[in-house]
Amino acid sequence: MSSTAGTLQLGRERGRRLSGIALWLVLGLLIVAPVGCFILLATSPRLFGQGSQLFTLRYVSEALSGVTGQGLFNSLWVSVVVSVLAVALSTTLAWLVHRTNVFGRRLWPILMWLLFLVPTWMMTLSWVDVLQPYGSASAIGLPTSWLYGEFMGPFGIIVVLTTASLPFAYFVMSAGLHGLGSEYEDAARVHGAGRLATLRTVLPMVAPALFSAFAISFAETMSDFGVPFTLAYHTHFPMATYTLFSAISSFPANFSVAAVMAIVLILTTVPPIVLQYRTTTRRSYAVLSGRSREIRRREFAPASRWLVSAGIGLLFAVSVGVPLVGAVLGSFVRDLGIYAGGAVRLTTTYYRQALSPSVAGKGFSGPLLLSNQIALGVATLTAVLAFVFARRLASGTSGWSQRVTDFLLLGSVAVPGVVLGVGYIFFYNLPVITLHVINLYKTLPLLMLALVATALPGQTRLLAGPLGQIQSSLGEAARVHGAGLWRTWRTTTLPLVSRVMLWGWLLTFAKTIAELPICQILYAPSQEPLSVTIQAYLGNYEIGTGTAMTVVALVEMFLVIVVALGLFRVFTPRGWRRIGWSGVSS
Amino acid sequence: MAHTTFKTRTLLLGALIAGSLIPLVPLTNDAGAAQGPTLVVYSAQGYDKAAVAAFNSTHPGFTVTLNDNSTGPLLQQIQAERNNPKWGVLWVDGSTAFAALDRQGMLAKGIVPRVDFNNVGRANIPADGSWVPTGLTATGALVYDSAQISAAELPKTWAQLTEAKYKGMLGMNDPTQSGPTYPLIAGLMNYLGHYKRGSTAAAVKAGEAYLEKLKANGLVINATNGPTLGAIQSHTIKMAIIQSSAGYGQEISTTKSLHVAYLNPVTALPGCIGIDGKMPADVRAEAQKFVDWLLTPAGQHVMQTGDPQGDSLFWPVLNGEKPANGVIPPLTSVPMQTINPYVWGPLENTINAWFTSNINNG
Repeated sequence: MSSTAGTLQLGRERGRRLSGIALWLVLGLLIVAPVGCFILLATSPRLFGQGSQLFTLRYVSEALSGVTGQGLFNSLWVSVVVSVLAVALSTTLAWLVHRTNVFGRRLWPILMWLLFLVPTWMMTLSWVDVLQPYGSASAIGLPTSWLYGEFMGPFGIIVVLTTASLPFAYFVMSAGLHGLGSEYEDAARVHGAGRLATLRTVLPMVAPALFSAFAISFAETMSDFGVPFTLAYHTHFPMATYTLFSAISSFPANFSVAAVMAIVLILTTVPPIVLQYRTTTRRSYAVLSGRSREIRRREFAPASRWLVSAGIGLLFAVSVGVPLVGAVLGSFVRDLGIYAGGAVRLTTTYYRQALSPSVAGKGFSGPLLLSNQIALGVATLTAVLAFVFARRLASGTSGWSQRVTDFLLLGSVAVPGVVLGVGYIFFYNLPVITLHVINLYKTLPLLMLALVATALPGQTRLLAGPLGQIQSSLGEAARVHGAGLWRTWRTTTLPLVSRVMLWGWLLTFAKTIAELPICQILYAPSQEPLSVTIQAYLGNYEIGTGTAMTVVALVEMFLVIVVALGLFRVFTPRGWRRIGWSGVSS
Repeated sequence: MAHTTFKTRTLLLGALIAGSLIPLVPLTNDAGAAQGPTLVVYSAQGYDKAAVAAFNSTHPGFTVTLNDNSTGPLLQQIQAERNNPKWGVLWVDGSTAFAALDRQGMLAKGIVPRVDFNNVGRANIPADGSWVPTGLTATGALVYDSAQISAAELPKTWAQLTEAKYKGMLGMNDPTQSGPTYPLIAGLMNYLGHYKRGSTAAAVKAGEAYLEKLKANGLVINATNGPTLGAIQSHTIKMAIIQSSAGYGQEISTTKSLHVAYLNPVTALPGCIGIDGKMPADVRAEAQKFVDWLLTPAGQHVMQTGDPQGDSLFWPVLNGEKPANGVIPPLTSVPMQTINPYVWGPLENTINAWFTSNINNG
């Protein structure tokens, strides 16, 4: 008997080890090898035919001085400020939406998703469209020249990056609060705690979510390229990802300086991770069970309820309204930003040009279809991989392997897309790989793998929170009652994470369609994704047509989300929609 | 009963997910298909899509595929692929990058077709025939808004641009972002330093001093042609030194009051095409057919109609061909210099770094 149990135990151990190796292999091929190849260039440019030095530290000092050094410093302080603001705002917002009777509780999360969909480069362009001289605001009679000057600087940069980070932090905090249940607040209040004491009791229980939200906001801000490339560039405020891009896009490209900067960007994610570990490894935060609890909401007095709701409305009016209004107006107003003696001319020309361009080969229906196909594959593969990685991270039993995986996943959030893209060239175009292993360079499958690599860290983090809160007793109970592995997963874990997995899928789908730097570098010849087509129009100063295409793409993404949620509602049992976290009410 | 419903729903959901992945099937054939096409054109020309489509439709024997990007990302990819090149043809504006690639032995030599080049065409052909000019624009063209400043008020020389009466009126692009801008700066240095041959140190110094004067006179830097033209159109500035085709494009499309003037001299910016010297012979032969076709009347026609409000507004480099639009003046009326790309090309990184530190962020 004991011998059989021992054999079983051994088998399980071996299976676990094999699955661990498989995961490391996946992580290695997706992220570690390409990024590793790139950062090797920091000290050994000769390895990839980019110089004569086999080992040098020359580029370290070059990267840390002058404009590049200034860029790193600016990115660091901006990222800290943005992360603090994003976590504070998102925690407040998540509490208001999930724990109070504030108006629009179903609307705000949907708007948060909308905000999530808008890429930062588009956000910036829309802000500028709205505020610039002869822009959208002046077209409807609002004088904004005083704000335009203020916006074109660190203030505007922090505003845009904070609004961009808000959804990341909000969804992490929402998951944390949802898993917590209101009984802990109730218990504190029953034992005589005031508001502040209740907050002091409850906040530490969502510490994993707080630190996770900070870490992800920080890493996302450090690696953002849209704002540094647009707003920061035009205000002569160098930021790390722009100076890195600049080193790569000069001719001849200075890959070594860019590699040093990539290393620094990755290393900046170490402190948040260490902080997170120090906090979370000291106690258990498993508070999520299968029970469908009714959350008791704090009732605001009518005046306070209106006031708080108006405050939230204002936040979304600024963060979502301005970019969307800017984009929509930009696509319908002729020659926005051009002095026209005060006359505003509405037009549908840009949409007609987008849908049936006068020059053959410049249409966007083909790229739109292709981007949807790519996004479908990338979102599905990412969802599967993210679940596996998140489960491993949440298991809390893997020790150093777990920490290294977490570091790699978060560290790779801080890797700009352009680094990942060029890293994929260096690794997947190595003669030894293309001749003897697999020839994927300049094909759609390689582009899709790179897009999976860029989406995987974020989605793993999104899932790790809810998975970490599932009490292990659920699965154990199922096993004790005779359920197999598959049935245990299907009847305990899946119902609890189905909604967050669906939203994660949708997020990756939308982000993949909007992704630009990797697509620009790795797209297969003559198979242009939508983001590259739009960028070509914007870069060729056909701003109106490019903006119209962006609006159509956003509408299409939103429709996909509506359809997916509708299907989820039709096909899943009602219980799945009541338990677990999703970010919005189904 | 409830259990059956749950099971049925789960099965339906599984079937739905599986069904939704069916559209991915066409993508899985891609890896194999990529081995089919043998020629990949890396191009930053606005009319490249039209040119590749027209070529493919008239040459059914093989398929040309296109990597359409800005000049910077294309050169970045070529450099990253150095150990295992995948590009067959590079087609961008400016010859300095080609000179650098030629120096590194990356270009096939002697690829110039036997066609009737005009004088500017011939002036932009390298001695070893490692690239071919396909059209010509000017960089450093003075694009101005006649609603803000009349032609009579414009400066007549480069030196006058630094005068106080033009303070805060002028814009230009960032050479690290805009392909045609480094040739403009190199051209200024070439002209102001009276460069003939030998060391470029004095010419570089003269150019740097001039740019510093422009900066002191309120020079406005934007990344590329688009934002710079936008700054004129929003009346932030009144004129800018950019690529001629960009100015003509806006003049005929959105802002009729935009016009193009030429200070003496502007710098020739040939649209150039070169072939990867490391490609197999059969691919090189295909690439040569593509290059030859571009310089036929059919190829020139596609180039002149493929981007009618942008890159198509060039001067042809062949005798007998005329510019696509009447807005473009005769080439003989434009005071144009040609710089030596083998001299100025290697200085690009150094000069751009100086510009970033001292003019753009200084």
